[in-house]
Amino acid sequence: MSEKEHKVSRRQFLTYTLTGVGGFMAAGMLMPMARFALDPALQAGGDTDFIRVTSVDDLTEEPQRFNFTIEQEDAWYTSDVDRVAWVYREGDEIVALSPVCTHLGCTVNWEGNEDYPEQFYCPCHFGRFEKDGTNVPNTPPTRPLDVYEMEIRDGDLYLGRTVQR
Amino acid sequence: MKWTTSDIDMYLKAKEYVDTAIIPLIPLDWEKDQKGAVSKGEFSSILIEEMEKQFKGRLFQLPPFTYLISEHNESKIARLKEWDRHFFDNGFKHIIYVTCDGDWKRVEQQIPDLLIWVPALPLENLDPGYAKEMITGQMKQLLPLITDKWQSEPKERNS
Repeated sequence: MSEKEHKVSRRQFLTYTLTGVGGFMAAGMLMPMARFALDPALQAGGDTDFIRVTSVDDLTEEPQRFNFTIEQEDAWYTSDVDRVAWVYREGDEIVALSPVCTHLGCTVNWEGNEDYPEQFYCPCHFGRFEKDGTNVPNTPPTRPLDVYEMEIRDGDLYLGRTVQR
Repeated sequence: MKWTTSDIDMYLKAKEYVDTAIIPLIPLDWEKDQKGAVSKGEFSSILIEEMEKQFKGRLFQLPPFTYLISEHNESKIARLKEWDRHFFDNGFKHIIYVTCDGDWKRVEQQIPDLLIWVPALPLENLDPGYAKEMITGQMKQLLPLITDKWQSEPKERNS
């Protein structure tokens, strides 16, 4: 066979092989570094545990404010964060609302303004929400209050993450 | 909102809603009463943290205005007025100064906007649960100062 029939010359073959092998070696070295740098950011942050907040018997039809502490993992460090929930029951159904105003993040209060009984009120820009968390039209917030994921175990209420509606 | 890039993005989108700046006044002293200075700084940061949480959407928490306790009143006040002028001229109708340093109370007349002075409490000796309760109690009294201020006209600056 003459040299011409070879589609790949010896020199090309060597170049390809060396680039390929070299590439793998470089990747082998760089990947762990990249993973090491990014790892905390890649770990699923959402898997927070459910925290016991109160006994179900203590809930009333009137929303009550409950404080609890969760361990939050931000990209680089873990910290204890205080959370608040407004919880009430309606028949057999339990509703746990996040107090964070969906406008710009202030904290809303149940009946926070005498002029608006039976509503959540935001003192910053006068946003209002119905008892079930629906935003009142023509006030700044554009979506309902978030709700907490919840679990009931042995008559106790456990809350998890907040979910947008 | 806090002094972070993510909050500044939020601020730039919602500028018209954020009309209040909060500035901690923090004394420094490494000569005589180190612990006193630190506890004043610590307690005011705790309060401000809570205020920011409550009013996140309307309040911007600025970095502290710091000074050596030996600095003369005239020079402190002159510097503070410069800060006040800068932030007032650039979008904050209300500026709230929060401190645990009683010296400011004596010169309150010369402070261009609302001064909130709270004596520092020794939280270190308390059980954490009780400390939290105490802070909540304090907040109940402090928050209306801020909402009342929003009901009033921005304070006039002379010159």
